[in-house]
Amino acid sequence: MIVFLQSLLSGVLVGGVYALIGIGLTIIFGVMRIINFAHGDLLMVGMYLTFFIFTLLGIDPFLSILVSIPLMFLLGAFLQKVFINRVLNALPQNQILLTIGLGLVMSNTAMLLFTSDYRILTTSYSSGSVSLGGLSISTPLLLSFLITAAITAFLYWFLLKTDIGQAIRATAQDRDAAQLMGINVKRMSVLATGLGAALAGTAGALISPTYYIYPQVGSAFTLKAFVIVVLGGMGSIIGATMGGIIIGVTESLAAVTPFIGSGLKEAVVFLLFLLVLLFRPAGLLGKSRM
Amino acid sequence: MLRARKPARGLAALPLVLAVVATILLCLFPAVVSSPYTLHVMILIFLSVVQGESWNVLGGYTGQYSVGHAAYFGMGAYVTIMLLQFKGIAPWYGMWAAVAAAIVLGLVIGSITFRLRGPYFVLASIAVAEIIRLVTLNWKEVTNGAEGILLSGVPPLKIGETVITDWSSKVPFYYAGLALAVLTILVNYAVQHSKLGYYFQAIREDQDAAHSLGIPLARYKNIALAISAFFTAWSGAFYGLYVGFVDPSTVQTVEVSVSIVLICIIGGIGTILGPVVGSLVLVPLAEALRSNLIADGLFALGLDPTSRTGLFLKENLAHAHVLIYGILVVVVILFMPDGVLGYVKAVTRKRATRTEAA
Repeated sequence: MIVFLQSLLSGVLVGGVYALIGIGLTIIFGVMRIINFAHGDLLMVGMYLTFFIFTLLGIDPFLSILVSIPLMFLLGAFLQKVFINRVLNALPQNQILLTIGLGLVMSNTAMLLFTSDYRILTTSYSSGSVSLGGLSISTPLLLSFLITAAITAFLYWFLLKTDIGQAIRATAQDRDAAQLMGINVKRMSVLATGLGAALAGTAGALISPTYYIYPQVGSAFTLKAFVIVVLGGMGSIIGATMGGIIIGVTESLAAVTPFIGSGLKEAVVFLLFLLVLLFRPAGLLGKSRM
Repeated sequence: MLRARKPARGLAALPLVLAVVATILLCLFPAVVSSPYTLHVMILIFLSVVQGESWNVLGGYTGQYSVGHAAYFGMGAYVTIMLLQFKGIAPWYGMWAAVAAAIVLGLVIGSITFRLRGPYFVLASIAVAEIIRLVTLNWKEVTNGAEGILLSGVPPLKIGETVITDWSSKVPFYYAGLALAVLTILVNYAVQHSKLGYYFQAIREDQDAAHSLGIPLARYKNIALAISAFFTAWSGAFYGLYVGFVDPSTVQTVEVSVSIVLICIIGGIGTILGPVVGSLVLVPLAEALRSNLIADGLFALGLDPTSRTGLFLKENLAHAHVLIYGILVVVVILFMPDGVLGYVKAVTRKRATRTEAA
């Protein structure tokens, strides 16, 4: 029972970060109808950014997001302006291939620059834990969850209450109508990609104290991000938040289930994905948009 | 009308003649060239052609992009090799089990996702390929996990008591690869010119129109997927026997899937010759990178091999082929979305209209 509760709790905490990854992907998809296959690689870039800010400048990974968020935003905006913008009206297959290509370029450039060695970012609290009613919670996981929660709350406020946020949501609902209402949809696409990249980079920064950092780390997260987004209904931010938590918990429980273990926990997530496609392809929340 | 059609008919025979001549020349090739490395590169080109043409049936003609073909490729390689190495079943029988497994796998993905609209098939194809890879990695008792399986030898192929080949040189693999390549090209030709193929192409062009004409979409997409999985699994079996070693990281990763798609994208999707052109570009490129030919070429052109850039290139270009694949994908999608063949056609057409106008 204690193992179950423990896994459930750490699943929820990890799920918070997954939600961040999923929200980023869903915003990009919502505004441009493009599935960003380079999403995990953006997260990888965020991880390396955090790693080097920590090792070279000695800035704490959780503080460094103040630097990495704007940098990742710029990277995303750059990718949108230079590459993705050109395929907005192309066949969906070509859009997918383009982002796959961008992802390969990012991960393999990282491999050339930083070699494929696994790197570990060790902070003073990396192996620390807080105990709560008999359960012990890893300190970095708890901190990352709290930051995730704050960022998610801010994001909801931004998208629901500010003019730009509403313009992004309007573009996601109906690109043509939004344009007719005088919204600069091109700028919204750049903003959305920047925002998505910043969220992926933030997620990368938040998990860097608890994960190995290596160039190919992204592909697993890209896939998980898809699962999260499809689970929550493509384009739905609330859905992506829930999807992230569900995936985190599923993975965490699968890892302690006999015969599955941590090696196959990701396979369980992908199996869940197929089941969702089989029984509830519109996602758990149905066809809601942002 | 009549005048326009006549030369076209005369021309229609030309590709056929060229294809026959090329096949004959390729058959004679090992008699002239005996360098094992040249034969090796040729075999890799054949393998790549088979992969590309197999993917093309589904991706090119039916418009269903799979980025998970490593699942079928890996299934073909693993099942054939496991049956041979652990059970002693000859590969020409074991291959059929591999093919059957790949088709079943394909139909599972297809029947779940082909009823849906949107990018679900692409996503599911990747997810299934990853499930297969993770299971292979973790089911160590059966698959040897990350260590992979080293084949101790391919049994001689006999008909009755006569030994046809004992697979001791590259030549038998050369002919097997050539035969497979010709076969898959013929399959693509048949697909392009048959009623089945017209159904596929109708689905690719406009699903709603195809549906309203009474074409059962999901069924025909599944048929295309089964054909594609069948030949991809064969190519996997061929690869496994030729290399004599399989492990998850060489036959089951997303990179393998992407490189299969790339063969078609580079050459031209949905054309018979596209995968051939793509293979002729990609395989020599990968080999040139691997053997450091490109770095040597740059040095020959005057780049100082002892300078920092020179050392960096020498050290890293050999590992950069996936990076170059990535750059190629981006460039091709942005600037020649119809592949090299489509690009050449467009350029010659432009030139023709220009000379006509002049």
